[in-house]
Amino acid sequence: MSPRRYGSFAGGIDLPDEKLGTLDEPIRAPVRLERLRIPLPGRSLAEVRLSVRPGQYVSAGQLLASPAGAGGLAVHAPYAGKAGGLCVVQTAGSDGFAPSAALELLEPADPPALHALSPVFDWRAADRATLLARIAEGAVPLHDGRGGSLSRFVERAQQANCHTLVANALESQPYLTADHRLLVEHGADVIRGLAILARAIGAREVILAADRRRTGEYRELVGPARMYQIARVALPHKYPVGAANVLVKVLTGREVPPGGSALGLGVAVVDPATCFAAYRWTACGVAPSARVVTLAGERLKIRGNFWVPVGASVAELTGGTDGPVLHGGPMTGLRCPPDAVVTAATGALLAINAAQAAPSTPCIRCGWCTDHCPARLNVAVLNDVFELGLVQRARRMGVAACVECGVCSYVCPSRLPLSQRVRQLRRAVTDLNDAMPLFAES
Amino acid sequence: MPDPTTDILPDATSPERFSAFAAPFLRAPEGARTVFLVTACACAGPLAAGVALFGWRALAVTALSVLSCAAIEKAYYRVTRAPAMLGRSHACLTGLLLAMTLPAFVPWYVPIIAATFAILVGKAVFGGVGHFLWQPALVGRLAVAVLFPATVMNPSAWPLLAQNKAIFGDVAQAKRPAVYRQWRGTPAPQGADAFALPHPTTELSPLTRGAEPAYSGLVFPGDWPRAKPTALAALPPIGEMLYGARPGGIGETCIILILVAGLYLVYRNYVKWQLPLAMLAGAWAVAAVAPIQLAGPNNTVETVWWPLLGQHLAGRLDPDLCVQVGFTYVNYQLLGGELFLAAFFLAPEMTTRPVTTGGQVLFALGCGVLGMLLQLYFETPIPFYLAVLAMNTAVPTIDALWRPRVLGARRFAFFRRA
Repeated sequence: MSPRRYGSFAGGIDLPDEKLGTLDEPIRAPVRLERLRIPLPGRSLAEVRLSVRPGQYVSAGQLLASPAGAGGLAVHAPYAGKAGGLCVVQTAGSDGFAPSAALELLEPADPPALHALSPVFDWRAADRATLLARIAEGAVPLHDGRGGSLSRFVERAQQANCHTLVANALESQPYLTADHRLLVEHGADVIRGLAILARAIGAREVILAADRRRTGEYRELVGPARMYQIARVALPHKYPVGAANVLVKVLTGREVPPGGSALGLGVAVVDPATCFAAYRWTACGVAPSARVVTLAGERLKIRGNFWVPVGASVAELTGGTDGPVLHGGPMTGLRCPPDAVVTAATGALLAINAAQAAPSTPCIRCGWCTDHCPARLNVAVLNDVFELGLVQRARRMGVAACVECGVCSYVCPSRLPLSQRVRQLRRAVTDLNDAMPLFAES
Repeated sequence: MPDPTTDILPDATSPERFSAFAAPFLRAPEGARTVFLVTACACAGPLAAGVALFGWRALAVTALSVLSCAAIEKAYYRVTRAPAMLGRSHACLTGLLLAMTLPAFVPWYVPIIAATFAILVGKAVFGGVGHFLWQPALVGRLAVAVLFPATVMNPSAWPLLAQNKAIFGDVAQAKRPAVYRQWRGTPAPQGADAFALPHPTTELSPLTRGAEPAYSGLVFPGDWPRAKPTALAALPPIGEMLYGARPGGIGETCIILILVAGLYLVYRNYVKWQLPLAMLAGAWAVAAVAPIQLAGPNNTVETVWWPLLGQHLAGRLDPDLCVQVGFTYVNYQLLGGELFLAAFFLAPEMTTRPVTTGGQVLFALGCGVLGMLLQLYFETPIPFYLAVLAMNTAVPTIDALWRPRVLGARRFAFFRRA
């Protein structure tokens, strides 16, 4: 796509390419769902204001709940239906699944969506403040698993004076094809959403980074991308090129300091699903109600990419398959608890025959974890450090730079849970730094 | 229905995060047992050459070594009731490596005692697979080198089967030949299967140790290339050094098969290419630079640096030939000992080498330099094995000190941020 060549990164690994089952399947509507349980944002019910009563019929796109304070997310009804009671569901966050309050939506039907905002909005002519206000009004969450709302993200990016905006369309993990299908089928809208975000943030350089093997299918995007002066970069698929810190290093040549964020370097990273939702909200006034979810894995009968409404039950979507269902990619994902529901962060639901339960044996110090670590951490020594419980030593070794890609566990011939151990050390180091900031400087 | 107002817990320590079933849910197919078994298969190449060159006794030594390693490991687990995690496959590998380092003519009890030391002292004392400090096979080899007198382990003449007696001959029936120019085409002496020859490093040692001040040094009788310098005259031709028809341990001699098997291990990523290369380069550099001692005029001893350049021959030979002679000398120093086996099989043992690439290069340079110095200037029988064991001792230090720069960290920082 682009003649400019970009750098690579140390470590990483070529994962087996397991995408072929769903790669060329068009995005479909899901089978009829029994009910939706739409998670409400915030930690407690005090933070949300419900707009509907139990038993009330709502239409698609109608406001269900709005934040009590500023900066929260509004929730709109993805489908028309009858509002039920409140219940508790499990939603995925950056720290794993956590319980969350949810509003039941019974008898979901699918009539044409109502516009939550006025659809007449010429974002090309709008100035930045108007654009920001339009985004901040909204109900667009980040779709990449970090959690939080888009308006908060844009605000932070603006405060950090971001000069570069990167759309991360590299689905470098096996099985994941949702972003790919979104780009193939709604690529122009994604590009427009990216342009809107770039305008709102004030980024001078906008990059769409995609897998080098898929560039032939993104040919239609060349026109819109040129129109909005978005650079298109094709990168090789060595995993984990899709991890934000690694991608920033590859694209800009600058490295995110351990424990820091890419925003500190003036680089904001978003994913295509967020761009698409931002476009639909800002330009069309349609609240995000569904997202593309890859359903894949050997144990699933129905595979493919689906527009799944937020709040759909994972168990219902996967057809009650026995055995664990994974939320997200197979390298970084989580295991779904029984009452998990789809949220904006759900890119994939996989029912694969996961390689697990092989008992771990002692570390033979092959050093493959160290060789393949994209953060160049000496994972073999960190494993010793974990076993000895030396948090200070781990901090000095720079464990905060871990990108949590899971490559160390993947390659380990002794089947040690290395990435879990490093994550635990990293958490301990973060807690220590938070507790004693002056001590952390030494 | 649970009450959402009370059931939403800001749970910071959810057990799900650290459960056994966590990401990644894919695993690379290669397990530790595969690593050991593939390495053991790679050992089969040099061992086969050893069996061809040293006869059935080589096979017997190998079998004894492997079986006793496995038996002692099993007995150890039986006695201590420790769980056998990878123990047996690693014991078999240790037995093979140990057999490769032993000569074929040793009595039957030597491999058994070596295996006992390798497993019990080299491995079990430290806690088994993954925890030992020194390469276990070398611990066993060192133990028998120390325990048994030089007449058993390092005699002045080592047997080598004649070509017509290869594979099936008996190395115990060896005679010093009246005429031995090269292995190929030389029949066995009358009533014997094997030649008794001095070890190549022993043959080269007077040059560097000054043992014979009147030694004539690297002087050519006759014309190059048919003639050889006198120090090298008693040594096999370079081709035989490569395919292994020279005295040495069972797996030490066949350089070609060691290279093939070693490169296969490199291809499988079990050995990083930097490690053997650095070890060979270190040894080569020392042999090229470190001084040799030659007979000077009036019965004096002359110390000459840079034997690679052959400058001591300057008055007596064509300048081009000087370099050729020096180059031949350096290569014989490398090929004559156990350097290649140590570089491709023993030094890269995963547990006893540093983890990072830079650390491995440091470690391997140390092995090569130290081993070559021992071979040149000290009367030690197994110089490179000793060097590997010595550098193994330094591995924890190297691992602690050699730290690659972490992603995003500054290379030199007075105040380090974690």
